[in-house]
Amino acid sequence: MTRQENPADLEIEEKLSNFTHLRRLPEFGVILAFIILFTIFSIFATQFLTLRNLTGILTIVSELGIMAIGVAFLMISGEFDLSVSSVYAISGFLFVTFANRYNSPLAFIITLIIALFIGFCNGIITIRTHIPSFITTLGMQLLLRGSLLAITGGESVSYKSDTIMPVLLTKFIGYGFRPSHIWFCLLTLIFSLLLTRTRYGNWVFATGGNKEVARAMGVKTTRVKMINFMLSALLASLSGCIVISRFNLANASFGIGMELEAIASAVIGGTLLTGGYGTIIGVFFGAMITGMMRTGLVMMGAPAYWYQAFVGAILIVAAIINLKLSRIEM
Amino acid sequence: MIRLEGQPLVKMVDIEKKFRAVQALNKVNLEIQPAEILGLLGDNGAGKSTLIKILAGVFPPDGGEIFFEGKKVNFSSPQDARTLGIETVHQALSLVDIMSIARNFFLGREPTRKIGFIHLLDRKKMNEECKRAVTGLGVRVRSTDEFVSILSGGERQAISIGRAMYFKVKLLILDEPLNALSVRETREVLRQIQKVRESGVSVVFITHNVYHVYPIAERFVMLDKGIKLGEVRKKDASAEDIIEIIATGRMLNK
Ligand SMILES: Nc1ncnc2c1ncn2[C@@H]1O[C@H](COP(=O)(O)OP(=O)(O)OP(=O)(O)O)[C@@H](O)[C@H]1O
Ligand SMILES: [Mg+2]
Repeated sequence: MTRQENPADLEIEEKLSNFTHLRRLPEFGVILAFIILFTIFSIFATQFLTLRNLTGILTIVSELGIMAIGVAFLMISGEFDLSVSSVYAISGFLFVTFANRYNSPLAFIITLIIALFIGFCNGIITIRTHIPSFITTLGMQLLLRGSLLAITGGESVSYKSDTIMPVLLTKFIGYGFRPSHIWFCLLTLIFSLLLTRTRYGNWVFATGGNKEVARAMGVKTTRVKMINFMLSALLASLSGCIVISRFNLANASFGIGMELEAIASAVIGGTLLTGGYGTIIGVFFGAMITGMMRTGLVMMGAPAYWYQAFVGAILIVAAIINLKLSRIEM
Repeated sequence: MIRLEGQPLVKMVDIEKKFRAVQALNKVNLEIQPAEILGLLGDNGAGKSTLIKILAGVFPPDGGEIFFEGKKVNFSSPQDARTLGIETVHQALSLVDIMSIARNFFLGREPTRKIGFIHLLDRKKMNEECKRAVTGLGVRVRSTDEFVSILSGGERQAISIGRAMYFKVKLLILDEPLNALSVRETREVLRQIQKVRESGVSVVFITHNVYHVYPIAERFVMLDKGIKLGEVRKKDASAEDIIEIIATGRMLNK
């Protein structure tokens, strides 16, 4: 099988190795897009490049990004989670309710456990019945949101409890920075390492890349998916607790449509919609772009509606690029 | 457990499997001796892959029993079969396209360093060992970080086989291992299979091309439409005889 070396061969090899370089830095595209958009906003929106504005963006980005990490991690293993926005809203409610009755750390723990249970339900239904997770989690999203609206009657509930969790999660720590920024960076790091450096990460890629092969190679694919469904709900719940601690108020309409922003962030960050490939660092920048668009466009004087339009356009472009890149490698 | 002389490594008894209306396997019996190469032959749809998927734990049989080294086994997952030393290179189920060669090579058996409950991948070992094993089979890869999707069919097959040989196994099952292989690759793989057998491993070699397996196997089992036609030893039948059996669906009465 030793091939003859000839110039044509070498030329092809060179081309291939260029693509390989690209793949070695899979976040390249999204980081470049981030820098370009950042530059544009800095030039055209006068108040954009101020510490106050940037930390403000980071606050929104962190809350979205924590959710997006879970969504992306699950997406890489081949499943969708559309229920995250409702888990986010219901978590806020649970957190406020339990905190008002007991104390905030206990409320936080109970809330996360309930979220894990919701994720468990998403997973078990998807795996046992073989219906697409797209449908399972859409059903769960409507079910949770509907119940929440019905039970609360649309009334907000204010937070009247200790400051332990709010301080740990989101109260200002100086210069406009908040703990949630640190949590976001930390979770990005942890999940990135989990995905690329551990055995479990290898199983996540394999499960999403080709479930049958992974199973034949001894990977417990259903367990991987179950865990990832639960992680997705857990992170959405954390994000919900953070946002409620920031507003001191829970409302049943919080986070409507946010699941799509999270998926958009994941895809803009290079995650393949079909599973099997993606990076958490990419998702970090994907969330940055999404969050930056939200404030940047308004500051440039565009009506708020343009935000959706632009995110939509970027999403389509990103999905096309992801697909093209994965084809080139095939 | 006392190892009786002449005890088969694997004994499959009255194996049955139905896929809705299709009776893929009908009371099939199969024995695999220690350190032999067994040719499993039959036309498309004969049930060869189904039979070995049952042996590999991919799915359970509807009826029948499996004995491994004399003990009855019930595999609930491929992992169970793997743990006993049954390694399979499936027809189309071996590599994840959008994963690197090294990650594929060690999939499900990753070398790790344990820190707390976290299993960190030993990526250096993965890359080095994988490169060594793959190069040993004659496949030249630039880097084991490459995606499998850029490899040719032959290179993929070589990597699947190299992986099976790397992990010390008792039974190696190869489902159509020579499909899409060049002449040179074919020869290399056949040589490797013989080497594996010499080290005491049993090999089941599935193919519908008798000429691929005839030179290296000593026993042949023929399947047809889910039924075992019979088996022959190499000294009792020529390659042409075996083709005749598969073509007519009947054993020769010599
Ligand atoms: N997962 C499945 N679901 C439904 N039917 C199946 C499945 N797997 C196999 N079959 C059917 O069972 C029969 C035996 O298939 P099998 O793959 O075992 O044949 P084979 O001998 O390996 O053929 P080939 O040489 O083409 O690989 C075929 O009729 C096939 O259509
Ligand atoms: Mg087959």
